[in-house]
Amino acid sequence: MKPAPFEYLRADTLDDACKFLATHGAEAKLIAGGQSLVPMLAMRLLRPAWLIDIGEIAALARVVIDPDAITIGACARQHVLAAHDGLAAALPVLGQALAWVGHEQTRNRGTLGGSLVHADPSAELPLVAVMLDARLALQSTARGTRVLSAREFFTGPMSTLMEPDECLVEVRFERWSAPCVGSAFDEVAIRHGDFALASACAQVAIDAAGRCERVALALGGVAGAPLDCSVQAASLVGSVPDDGAVDALAQAVAGGLEPPGDLHASAEYRRSLAQTLCARVLRAACARARGALTEAR
Amino acid sequence: MTDPGQPAAGQHFRYIGTHRRTREDPRFVMGRGRYAADVHLPGMKHVALVASPYPSARIVSIDARSALALPGVVAVLTGEELAQHTDFLYVGVDAPGVKRYPLAVDVVRYAGEWVAAVVADSRALAEDAAELVDVVYESLPFVIDPEVAVRADAPSVHAAHPSNVLYRRKFVWGEVDKSFAQAAHQLECRVRWGRSSTVPIETFAVLAQWSAGTEILDIWASIQMPKYPDQTARALRLPGNAVRVHFDVDVGGSYGVKRGIKHTVLAGYLARKLGVPVRLIEDRLENMRGGDMQGPDRIFDVALAFDDRGVVQAMRIRALDDVGAYAGRSPLQLGKPVGAICGPYRIRHVEYEPCSVMTNKTPQEAVRGFGQAPTNYAIETAMDRMARQLGIDRIEVRRRNLIGRDEFPYLIPSGTHYDSGDYEAVLDKALAQAGHEELVRRRDAARAQGRLAGIGIATCLEPSGGNSSFEVLFNPKNETTTWMEASLVRVDLSGSITAVMNTSSSGQGHETLVSTVVGEVLEREPSSIRVIHADSLNALPSNSPVGSRMAIMLGGAAAGAARRIRASLMAIAAHNLELPLEALEYVGGEVRVTGDPDRSMSWDQLVEIAHRKFHRMPAGLEPGLQASFVWEVPTGGGLPTPDGRIQMYPCHSFETHVVYLEIDRDTGKPQIHRYVCGHDCGVMISPDIVHGMTFGGIAHGIGAALYEKFAFSEEGQLLAGTFMDYLIPSAHEVPSMSIVDHCTPSPLTTFGQKGSGEAGYLGGPAAIASAINDALAPLSESIDELPMTHEALWLRSRPGRGPSAAGHPVPR
Repeated sequence: MKPAPFEYLRADTLDDACKFLATHGAEAKLIAGGQSLVPMLAMRLLRPAWLIDIGEIAALARVVIDPDAITIGACARQHVLAAHDGLAAALPVLGQALAWVGHEQTRNRGTLGGSLVHADPSAELPLVAVMLDARLALQSTARGTRVLSAREFFTGPMSTLMEPDECLVEVRFERWSAPCVGSAFDEVAIRHGDFALASACAQVAIDAAGRCERVALALGGVAGAPLDCSVQAASLVGSVPDDGAVDALAQAVAGGLEPPGDLHASAEYRRSLAQTLCARVLRAACARARGALTEAR
Repeated sequence: MTDPGQPAAGQHFRYIGTHRRTREDPRFVMGRGRYAADVHLPGMKHVALVASPYPSARIVSIDARSALALPGVVAVLTGEELAQHTDFLYVGVDAPGVKRYPLAVDVVRYAGEWVAAVVADSRALAEDAAELVDVVYESLPFVIDPEVAVRADAPSVHAAHPSNVLYRRKFVWGEVDKSFAQAAHQLECRVRWGRSSTVPIETFAVLAQWSAGTEILDIWASIQMPKYPDQTARALRLPGNAVRVHFDVDVGGSYGVKRGIKHTVLAGYLARKLGVPVRLIEDRLENMRGGDMQGPDRIFDVALAFDDRGVVQAMRIRALDDVGAYAGRSPLQLGKPVGAICGPYRIRHVEYEPCSVMTNKTPQEAVRGFGQAPTNYAIETAMDRMARQLGIDRIEVRRRNLIGRDEFPYLIPSGTHYDSGDYEAVLDKALAQAGHEELVRRRDAARAQGRLAGIGIATCLEPSGGNSSFEVLFNPKNETTTWMEASLVRVDLSGSITAVMNTSSSGQGHETLVSTVVGEVLEREPSSIRVIHADSLNALPSNSPVGSRMAIMLGGAAAGAARRIRASLMAIAAHNLELPLEALEYVGGEVRVTGDPDRSMSWDQLVEIAHRKFHRMPAGLEPGLQASFVWEVPTGGGLPTPDGRIQMYPCHSFETHVVYLEIDRDTGKPQIHRYVCGHDCGVMISPDIVHGMTFGGIAHGIGAALYEKFAFSEEGQLLAGTFMDYLIPSAHEVPSMSIVDHCTPSPLTTFGQKGSGEAGYLGGPAAIASAINDALAPLSESIDELPMTHEALWLRSRPGRGPSAAGHPVPR
């Protein structure tokens, strides 16, 4: 478990990293936290000729909380985000998801952007990004900056629309303007910290009468990439989401899944877990939204 | 002088049984251990391995030219060359056709088997070069399913062996058929123990250096294995005194699996051939796939004959064990349970049919308990089934069958005497500690709310003091009945005490053990006593820490040597005080005249006489102050009777587990809420070490019961070859546990101690399985296979979804 030979380069600025990617992108990998990349290197599943370390570029670790959006640098460490008081209030679903990401030790190193570009289909942070339809800003020397929707960014297992010469710069999460918003994240892994067999996250906004105004829902571990189910979930909008409606939605969503099967979970088991988790996160998100409503009164 | 190994009556302890700092743990905690990988020699080269991707194939050719052309690559070794210059490795049963060398010769027999070894300046370079070794294979038929492998028409794993069956025998002890014919009730069940293991943080590591000047092969290795220096020398065709194993390296965990004989022969051969130190440290992939460290993999068919009250009259056990592609000691793991074949129960007629079969999988190696934990699981499952069939409480059924406290020594049908025990007392203590009645209420309340909740119970034995009598039982050509252990204790000129042990330690706390018993006997502060590990050329005989034996055997050996020192001190004092021994007493290292405390000789005075003043020594006493003691396992030394009865291990520790858990019926996720283990291993020399072993054993048992499995595909590929798929429970999955002690001293050992190295693991899986099946009982579902996976639990947790009654007979 020694990596194949590679050259290591530390980039001091984003521009340096992009310049290097412009010439060596096809045979280079960016490294920040390394919590997924390094094991893959050790098992020789990846053999980049160059490793470009962007982990110390301070400009990539910013957290900016604006009234309408939250912008997080790609290299912000997961443990920093999990402990960030402002984020806990402004984007609670991120903290709810981070509790499931690996372990404390891996979160000390792991970054938001690293998890997104790694694009593991059962990873938590891509799921949150898809659920909230986050905007990913990518930079390259050749094309400058372009912004992609998370819902189009993930194209399959470990596969995204990012080009080899691009670097993920930051991620922008919209803040819902409704006053009463609740979110929830849940997953089933065999051990805590393992890859999820299935995962779900949801965000719900309700009006003063308790009616669903807006809902977002996404499932992980059940397809090649995080699955956005917000269109189906929109059936909840306009009425008070009771158990019957939530269960019917969960059943409908799960019915359309064709999850993979492997050593630890068959397709049928994953589908069932997705249905269970789907209902659980919707209920929990609604309960939190109602809690916010009560508080507002 | 009486036998120094024998117990002294009415003992009161000064250090034994007290809570004291361990001798060795501070260096581990502070990162100051010295492991095999910490030994660096100038010019050392590194080995990486080329492994077979096929479960069965002929090696057509090996082309190493590209690998050898890489700068820094020293050599590429193939099995063909190695087999010409070494002898095949030890086989535990009479199967001369099953030959194994460290590298495959002509054919490969499992995916992951080592085909070639690359030696280079660094491990990374060796791995680069290993990728360039071009091996051409021709795929051959293979067999993965053990039930297929036993058939006459199955593909042959070893063509030179008559079949894939390595060992099979039906033992009948007592009137089994008659008891079944006459019994009011019977049941049959089939359970399966999945292929799991103990997975230490440290993989196997070995460093070998051949000295052309002294013609000695020096070995540093993370070893836990009987007769390792001897087997290494034999395979390398060296005299025994040309191999020096340095037992003073710390071993980063084992519980059975650190048996790297093939690694050692490979590194030893390379070191001698190349004239440079050669180091082989398995990486995790090599360790889990090709390190031959996977544990028992068994199918049990158990039948019980019993009366209306649930008193068992006879039992039949058939055990099919899949040992993988080669046989070291693995078939013998079916032999050890003979010594506790009826568990803690009064079962008078037993039939046991062990069958060891080879498949094209990674070979099996010794794992904690040496086959006893799976057997305990099978017996305990049958006891639960019987209780359910009769509608009698599972605890009550056990009470009706447990051997009584006044029945010891108790002779079981297969020829072993159980030394001592008070099983009901331990059971009662565990139930009280667990708050069993409250747990029953809690379970029933949970059930009333529609939740799946269950209580598990297991009452199991840990045979200890390993004498490996299964070797002579399973192999008539083997007459090894000697399983001695030894120690040397020395008091130097300064009066400091040093005790020597003769094997390595892999975390068992032997330095604490030895310093405590020597301190106890000599009445000197244990923390002042140094314990060292001799190298194998300096060492007295040892059979290494296997079979839960060291508290008994090393503890007894060190105490025996210390008693000899104490006797010498008394003799020196008697001579100098001109008094008979009877007039003297030994107190805290000095010798006093009884009744006259002013007349005494101090420790320093006595030591000085022994070392410097020959003119004051009694006639016939050796000068200096050192003593060794070598002793045989108590009750050991016997050969089996023709019907296969034999005294196996001398001592029998006992444990009761009580578990409360719930299963999330929507996800299948189990959660353990309460875990209590009642434990009796006689006198505990270090209670903290015993408890640590037990906590770890329970965690290991949770892994075997719910998480860990070396799963193989139908194509013979290991699917769980990394920690992403081989799931060891973490702190999140292991609940807080509580241990309640009981002490029934063994009458056979120096201080009344019994073994505890396998504690927790021997009953844990059975208890968790019992709890799971209790939780599923309201749904008329059960699971008969370990590990009980989340998916299996989910499948059975949902009304109308589970494979109802599949795998177990409908109660008659």
